[in-house]
Amino acid sequence: MSKPADLVQGTLNLLLLKILALEPMHGWAISQRLNQVSRDVLRVSDGSLYPALHKLEQEGWIAAEWKTSELGRRAKFYSLTRLGRRQLQQESAAWERLSGAITSVVRLKEA
Amino acid sequence: MRLEHWFYTIPLRLRSIFRRSELDRELDEELQFHLEQRIQQEIATGKTRHEARYAALRAMEGMQQRKEECRDARRTRWLEDLMQDARYAIRTLIKTPAFTLSAVLVLALGIGANTAVFTIVNGVLLRPLALPEPDRLFLVSHMPTNNPFITPGPEMSDRDYIEFRRQDQVFESLATFGGENVTLTGAGDAVTMNALRVTPDFLQVLRVHPALGRGFLEEGQHETNVALLSDRLWRSRFGGDPQIVGKGITLDGAIYTVIGVMPPTFTFQNAELWTRMEVRLDPHNSFIRPVIGRLKPGVTPQQAQAELRAFAATRPLDKGEKRENFVTRILPLKELFVANVRKLLLIFAGAITFVFLIACANFANLLLIRGASRQPEIAIRAALGARRSRLVRQLLAESTLLSVAGGLVGVLVSVGGVRSLLAWLPSGKIPRIGEIQLDGWVLTFTFGLSLITGIVFGLSPALQATRRELREGVNAGGRSVTMRRERLRGAFVTAEVAMAMILLAGAGLLVKSFLQMRSVNPGFRQTNMMVATLDLPGSRYRTAAQMRALNERILSAMSLLPGAESVAAVNWIPLRPEFVRGDFQLEDGRHLPHGFLVDKPVVSPGYFRTMGIRLLSGRRFTERDNLSAPGVVIISEGVARRLWPGGDAIGKRISMEDEPKASDWLTIVGIVSDIRQRSLADTPSPSVYQSYLQVNQPFFLSHINFVVQSNENPAMMSAEIRSVLHKADQELPAQSVTTMEAMVANSLTDTQSQMRLLGIFSIMAVLLAAVGIYGVLTSSVLERTHEIGIRMAMGAEAKDVLWMVFRRTLILVGTGVVLGTLGAAAVTRVLAKFLFEVKPNDPFTFLAVTGILVTVAILAAWIPAQRAARVYPLVALRHE
Repeated sequence: MSKPADLVQGTLNLLLLKILALEPMHGWAISQRLNQVSRDVLRVSDGSLYPALHKLEQEGWIAAEWKTSELGRRAKFYSLTRLGRRQLQQESAAWERLSGAITSVVRLKEA
Repeated sequence: MRLEHWFYTIPLRLRSIFRRSELDRELDEELQFHLEQRIQQEIATGKTRHEARYAALRAMEGMQQRKEECRDARRTRWLEDLMQDARYAIRTLIKTPAFTLSAVLVLALGIGANTAVFTIVNGVLLRPLALPEPDRLFLVSHMPTNNPFITPGPEMSDRDYIEFRRQDQVFESLATFGGENVTLTGAGDAVTMNALRVTPDFLQVLRVHPALGRGFLEEGQHETNVALLSDRLWRSRFGGDPQIVGKGITLDGAIYTVIGVMPPTFTFQNAELWTRMEVRLDPHNSFIRPVIGRLKPGVTPQQAQAELRAFAATRPLDKGEKRENFVTRILPLKELFVANVRKLLLIFAGAITFVFLIACANFANLLLIRGASRQPEIAIRAALGARRSRLVRQLLAESTLLSVAGGLVGVLVSVGGVRSLLAWLPSGKIPRIGEIQLDGWVLTFTFGLSLITGIVFGLSPALQATRRELREGVNAGGRSVTMRRERLRGAFVTAEVAMAMILLAGAGLLVKSFLQMRSVNPGFRQTNMMVATLDLPGSRYRTAAQMRALNERILSAMSLLPGAESVAAVNWIPLRPEFVRGDFQLEDGRHLPHGFLVDKPVVSPGYFRTMGIRLLSGRRFTERDNLSAPGVVIISEGVARRLWPGGDAIGKRISMEDEPKASDWLTIVGIVSDIRQRSLADTPSPSVYQSYLQVNQPFFLSHINFVVQSNENPAMMSAEIRSVLHKADQELPAQSVTTMEAMVANSLTDTQSQMRLLGIFSIMAVLLAAVGIYGVLTSSVLERTHEIGIRMAMGAEAKDVLWMVFRRTLILVGTGVVLGTLGAAAVTRVLAKFLFEVKPNDPFTFLAVTGILVTVAILAAWIPAQRAARVYPLVALRHE
């Protein structure tokens, strides 16, 4: 299993795009940021992070670049492309529609 | 959106393919970096370095799998697999050189032959004309459909041309031209060549410019006797003289000033020379010529067509013309060159496609046989977990590799093929020969064809070889499987036979046509006859009297030649393309039947005797039938039968004039048999002969043929005849001196070369089909050795086994012949135009062709059948 069971299918892409929309980052930083912003609720394993990043890269949504990291070592930094920005808009819109719908279903009062 | 996507992804994919190791290194580095950070973090929580490392690796959930997933994300996995398949295929193919070689050769033959024909079709029919913006060049045609004198080509009368050109809005420029033969003297030996008389805009329309000198002056600016030379003429006759512009050359005895030389790349209907023509309104005559135009940019041919239709709807009609009898057409200029050969070339292309498909069927059968022999290997790979799709892909890689190799060799084959095809095609009939070459389109065609062949014809053998029952049991080899395999091979063989049958039937029909045509009695003598042709230039011979005097001189000189039995002259000799047809008036006031036209040869008194044309009644012309004697004619049987069915033609009077005066009436003095004037394939033509001693119009005398009947090998006289002509007038160009037999043979060359080409194609088809039959039977006998052994052990005799093989052959071939006959019956109709006195469904031909095919099939089955009959039961049973 490369994806944790508690992560809704397809949302990993959305999370990664959103995080990279803020600033370019390398893989390690992304994993730290993910845990931090989701308050450890959404755990993305180290193992599933990289295949997901590589898929996004091959879709042309994010671009990679080797730069010196804050620790003084060469690291692969990812940043959002124009195409990725558009994709992020689409996915977040879709997510909001879906989560809104689910929320309203969950809040239905039992008769 | 899509495009932007590619903008990002294509460089990525390319990098994945060509920088694979670099990417892998980067992947390692990236993961290593992550791992080290994680280890640092874990150490910070108090773990030992060893524990931290273990935890970090566990968080990765399997380092190697993750790497694989990252590589999969690159989406180039298929290509890596493909490379692997190809490498494996190359290894296995090299291990079986006999199979590889035969497959490559079969395909090289099929693809090569096809490429050769496509090269010609591409050069002649498909390539755009080698002129600037050729898609704006069109022919403008406005022709009556009911005029017996003209074959309705895409042309226009010059009267209409002038008016259309005045009104036209859609063409940038329009021009017209006419071909003629001119004789060049004073530059080496006198020579007659093709020249075009063109209106001044001709070069503008085509957008070509002389390489040297200038083009014609614009319309309205007067210039006379100016000529443009072709590059070839300039080099061969004027030594490439750079000072040629402004010099004079002699054409038909008149001096023309050279104004320019065209570039070597410019060819137009094989013309060597272009002279200027003004189209003027002539109240009496109107020439009909092709009209070419260049459309204004952005104008469609449909708009031009609409304009032309509007023009045709309003143009004033002449007496007797009906508007509905005219057709208007706007055709691509290319039509001018290729309309006559398109059908023939397409037929050859169709025929070669059959040959190609037969080669492909053989290829598929080779693959099937190979698949059968590789069963153990495939079963083992399947047992080890290879999916069927993977196995099929592997086999397809092999077949595609073979077909591409076949295509490569095929290109080499086609280079020779094009050369032979051009030699076999009717000489001088194929336009644009200079543009036939191996270009990018041809190579694309061949490569695409090879790929498709490998995949399409590799697919069913691949599916067959990987059937589940084969994959499951390593030692199954069950009978049901054998049966199914044999059925598929049999189907291919049947298809081959059917296609070979269709081709053979087509070739057979052409052979029969040729034989029929050759055995036609043309109505005149063909053996021991020499024919010399003269065109008298108008500049030297103006009057009929001058021409008659020359004829007289030549005739008497020729009759003195040793070996000359008799000599005669005629203006339009049979079997040549030029002839004169027309009508005449009857003295009794009757009108000729509608559409009844006769040939009007003008002959010397000895013509009928020399040519062996039989006199049926009355008398022949004599020397006394001259200008001072009453006018006489001799009619042919066809005229007599049609106009005087009672047999009382002799003594009746006719006239060649539209409004005859008393002296214009000519008395019929004799009736001769009909001859085939125009071609062997044409029906005998009714003719009205006049004596050249009584004809006064130069038109009827300026073109003249001398016929010499000799009592020895006529070709021996050729030099003597030439010297007689030369002595009679040294300024006359050397013209054709040939035997009548050569002329007859020449008139057969079209049919002959069609027959030869289709014959060669069908021989290829039959041989390939025979190879197919042989291959399939041989392999099936080998695979069934065991079974045959059992049969023989059970008491079957050699003849039973022989019969078993032959029966299968006959079933396959029989089915193929039936299907082929049906196919041929449907297809040979396209040949109808090329056949002579043979129906496209001629049962005799079909029967003969069937006989040939069955014989070939039995011969092909002979060796495998013998091998089957020699199976020794004990050995066979030990065969396991």
